[in-house]
Amino acid sequence: MTATLPTRPTPTRISRGAARVLIPLRERIAPYAYIAPFFLLFGVFGLAPFLFTFYIALFDWNPIGDQTFIGLDNFTRMLADARFWNATANTISIWLLSTVPQLLVALLLAHVLNRARLRFALFFRMSILVPYITSVAATAIVFAQLFDRDYGLLNWLLGLVGVGSIDFAQTVWGSHVMLAVMVAWRWFGYTTLLYLASLQAIPRDIYEAAAIDGAGGWAQFRHITIPSLRPVIIFTVVTSTIGGLQIFTEPLLLSRTNNITCGPVRQCQTLTLFLYEQGFGQYEFGYGAAIGVALFVMIVVVAAVNYLLSSRIRGEVP
Amino acid sequence: MKLRTSPALVLLAAAVLAMTSACSPGSGSGGGGDPKAFEFWSFSGIDQKRDVDAYRQLHPDIQVKLTEVGSTTETAQALTTALAGGKVPDLVLIQGDDLPKFVQQPQNFQDLRTLGADQIKGDYLDWVMKQAEAKDGQIIGVPTDVGGLGVAYRADLFAAAGLPADRESVSKLWSTWDGFIETGKRYTAATGKPFVDNIPTSVFFQAVNQVSQKYYDDAGNPIYDRNPEVKAAFDLALKALDANISAKQSFGKEGWNAALPRGDFAVVSAPSWLLGQIRRGAPDTAGKWDVATIPGGAGNWGGSYLAIPARAQNPAAAWAYIKEMQSPQRQLEHFLEVGALPTTPSVYTDPRLTGKADPFFSGAPTGKIYTEAVLGLKPFRMGPDTGAIGQEFLNALVNVEQGSGNPATAWDDAVRNIRTAIGK
Repeated sequence: MTATLPTRPTPTRISRGAARVLIPLRERIAPYAYIAPFFLLFGVFGLAPFLFTFYIALFDWNPIGDQTFIGLDNFTRMLADARFWNATANTISIWLLSTVPQLLVALLLAHVLNRARLRFALFFRMSILVPYITSVAATAIVFAQLFDRDYGLLNWLLGLVGVGSIDFAQTVWGSHVMLAVMVAWRWFGYTTLLYLASLQAIPRDIYEAAAIDGAGGWAQFRHITIPSLRPVIIFTVVTSTIGGLQIFTEPLLLSRTNNITCGPVRQCQTLTLFLYEQGFGQYEFGYGAAIGVALFVMIVVVAAVNYLLSSRIRGEVP
Repeated sequence: MKLRTSPALVLLAAAVLAMTSACSPGSGSGGGGDPKAFEFWSFSGIDQKRDVDAYRQLHPDIQVKLTEVGSTTETAQALTTALAGGKVPDLVLIQGDDLPKFVQQPQNFQDLRTLGADQIKGDYLDWVMKQAEAKDGQIIGVPTDVGGLGVAYRADLFAAAGLPADRESVSKLWSTWDGFIETGKRYTAATGKPFVDNIPTSVFFQAVNQVSQKYYDDAGNPIYDRNPEVKAAFDLALKALDANISAKQSFGKEGWNAALPRGDFAVVSAPSWLLGQIRRGAPDTAGKWDVATIPGGAGNWGGSYLAIPARAQNPAAAWAYIKEMQSPQRQLEHFLEVGALPTTPSVYTDPRLTGKADPFFSGAPTGKIYTEAVLGLKPFRMGPDTGAIGQEFLNALVNVEQGSGNPATAWDDAVRNIRTAIGK
């Protein structure tokens, strides 16, 4: 580090003092002024609400009424609340159902799109990004219609092959699959492009050398593609985990006439939707904030596990 | 070291700044604004603009700034945020379902009695007025409309099923809810098709309003779990579910919208504001519908109130607007223009109201049918969790209807869920 820095003349006592005076105050504070907009905005819209959440989680907080300090009561109530655990289980289930297939499909798609022989490659690469730039609301409405019990396209197709109509939105598994498909549909193109970008950074001659050594398509995929993609795979796992724990828009739009519970027995209510229901449906800000704190703790734990796993995997890369 | 600490200081300063701005209590107390201008928050789709335009013509010197915030819920949320610490409007429209939360915290609103609400209070239906009254008698809002209830039905499908199709006979068939269920059985047996859109909203939600006490007693204590009138409405819904006459379409959802024009249900409990929605959702069925009276004779679903926040800049101008635009005569004119049902019984016998016929619904006298439905209601006390309690009962019934819930345990499940939800 120090070797790259230009060597400074060792200043004498007097010249050091003089140098200090010589740098105008304006220049000394200029860097802070440059970064200030971000930190001010982050402070107002990020940090302050974040800290404030921890504060009001300790209160029975009615936004337009009394605010009583109740210590950790919100948290004890939450741990005993079946609705909280239901929302937690739903969140994990929807996250698994959406993330695992999504990453696998993206990996295979990226591998296929990376092959030089593919014609109209640019067209295919661009079109997979279309779901990502489509509005979530539009996606949710279209999928809700596709999955409708009586008039949905999917049930119509199932009817053709003699399977009775399935009420996706009503059952636990059906609603989870439905939401997972929506989430995966939206994100698989983005993930594919990330993989594709890393794939293109792998030198072709490695594949050629492997081919000369007699490695087939699968062996190349297994021993060249996947190891080279490890860092970006870890990145997508981390981001999709954090995103998955915060799934909100899709279940909200699915439940717009069911009082934000996503179904009569909260079969697809996620943690963020439960938070929203308590905070902005029931105006129990304190309890909603406590759920937010729990969500924060979960994300920190998952991020820590991810970090440990990924540093171990990175250590194994040959 | 100096350089190290400085960013932290900047960050801290930013945080402090943000905290103080987040907690500042907003603009000062009432008064002080331009007496010739006031700000009005409404929700969309309720045609307040028409009233505001009329008011502007009558009073060209007054400036009304109308903002349509969004849906009814979004408007209530925006109002909550504003009351908690922001710029409040001078006048705000609150939907009936959102009202109890605000009535529980009356200190956020002007007591309309101080502005003269006591003098005009008698013009409005007593049970509607009662819902806007806080514990100490403070009046928070003045009602703009009610959602009186009737039953919209497909007269052509009734005739094809061998049932009487004219509205007098049909109303007689289901003067009680048991008669409604029997008619449903006859219809389904004759056609093999579902009768009603769904039981939870078309039966339970309506029957549970035909009571003298609902989820709270007159002193404001929750009695949802031991009120025999609520239990009777719930059991009635279970009986209707058992009769297997429902299309099981959740009110207003994709499936409901698709089933409506296809005649996949022949009957729906229709508040006055639903008629327009049916007209738009199934334009090809014009003239095939009719409206009969609701079983039990009375019902209400919806309705809104105008309120003035305590910190309003110009409460006097807002009150002048309420007093003028919600007078019985103006409410009648509003009904004739857009169909929203007046809350002022003195105009219910006006020939212009009773004489209004709706060609889409086979010429049904909607003004007459709907005003009779709201005259029969008795006032009952609402509480802070009236909405949440109703939703849990509804959820339990939807769960049975959709085939996942057990009717034998549905009541206990609902009561348990309510206890979890409201903590008492």
